[in-house]
Amino acid sequence: MTESAPRLGFFARAWTVCAKDAAQELRRRVAAASVFFFAATSLALVSFAIGPFGLPPDVRGRVDASLVWIILFFSAATGLPRAFVREEETGTGLALRKLVPGVVVLAGKALFNFALFLAIAALSVPAFALLLEWRIGSPAALAAVVFLGGWGLAVVSTFLSALVARGGQRNVLFVVVSFPLLVPLLLPAIAATIEASEGSFAWTPLRVLVAYDGAATSAAYLLASAAWED
Amino acid sequence: MKLLKLLLLPYMAAVIAGAFLWVEPAEGFIGESSRIVFFHVPCAWTAALAFVVAAAYSLAYLVRRNPRSDRIAEAAVRLGLLFAVLTIVTGSVFAKIMWGAYWNWDPRQSSYLLLIFLYAAYLFLRAAIDDPERRARIGAAYALFAAVLMPFLVFVAPRVTESLHPQTVINTEGKILMDTPTKTIFFAGLVGFTALFLWLLEIETRLGGIRRRGGAGRPLGIPASN
Repeated sequence: MTESAPRLGFFARAWTVCAKDAAQELRRRVAAASVFFFAATSLALVSFAIGPFGLPPDVRGRVDASLVWIILFFSAATGLPRAFVREEETGTGLALRKLVPGVVVLAGKALFNFALFLAIAALSVPAFALLLEWRIGSPAALAAVVFLGGWGLAVVSTFLSALVARGGQRNVLFVVVSFPLLVPLLLPAIAATIEASEGSFAWTPLRVLVAYDGAATSAAYLLASAAWED
Repeated sequence: MKLLKLLLLPYMAAVIAGAFLWVEPAEGFIGESSRIVFFHVPCAWTAALAFVVAAAYSLAYLVRRNPRSDRIAEAAVRLGLLFAVLTIVTGSVFAKIMWGAYWNWDPRQSSYLLLIFLYAAYLFLRAAIDDPERRARIGAAYALFAAVLMPFLVFVAPRVTESLHPQTVINTEGKILMDTPTKTIFFAGLVGFTALFLWLLEIETRLGGIRRRGGAGRPLGIPASN
């Protein structure tokens, strides 16, 4: 007589999905490497175009903060939408749909995307600061902005990836559906980054980020099965 | 019901006449530009109402899986886009008179433009999915997700940054600073535009049903193949 396997909890199962995605990415490496390559290329382009002395000091903080988030957003946009699209391309979507509830898959893939975003930010932001002599007055405040902005970006991108995964023109479609939904996240993130570079915590934009993350996470949680399951 | 529809034409004509002939232009605005409030704000209100209706019927579709709810949601988004474009156009006319340019990248102008992109994306998303049941389900999920994040775009983002836009109708103290004729025509306009939207919604929903029965479920003409 065989014993049935112990039933895993929500977070354990989400973590399993996250670990599966990480193992797949580490095995293929091409997708993750292309995301980092994109970030490095855009960083080099910005560095060439502007450089540390190309901007007047009174606008530098604002422009630097905007450029950091533009680089982060577009680098993430090359990798994050792959969360569900990859399952359809490799033909594993059906099995995943049958074995794991949609909300667990979404949580696992959002975790993986969040980790990917943090890795991109951990390399891009210091490189940007170094190449453009961008002084960060409060690294703790900047870390809070990147953390909150990154979570919102990961959740929204993962949810939208589930929606577009089985549509035509997936890559174009992802950009079309994600940009308007992510602007309300990017605006307070840029505002808080400006303050962080000047050495202070911008509480109002940070509160907006917390509210946005909460709303996006709750909505994605409630709509996960409608977005992914048949 | 038919009588109410017939009465809408003289009613709206009376609102337009009242807006131009009864109400005095407001102080602090160039020329007659303040009269735009009788058309611009009702358009913005109707667009927001349409997107709320789309969210409500999307939720209804996900709960009951009734195709009519999906048709109403899609029709509401189409009409919401129409009224949002009218909001942008009327706002741009006002911007040209008051600020010297049709487009100033004011946070409110930009947020409304993004709102149009947000719901245009709904139509793109639907057009890219072949299976009608999946198209309806994915469309409903997107419409609800967009409705949850829309307030950040329309209400929060413009308040995080400086804006040229005049004070909103209900100001920060929760008061409406309008004289009686202005208030009368303004609220009559809101009622008229709302009634017009409901009428158009009925027509567009019926047209949606006819299009689907005819097999033309792909109004944007985007091929589904990747």
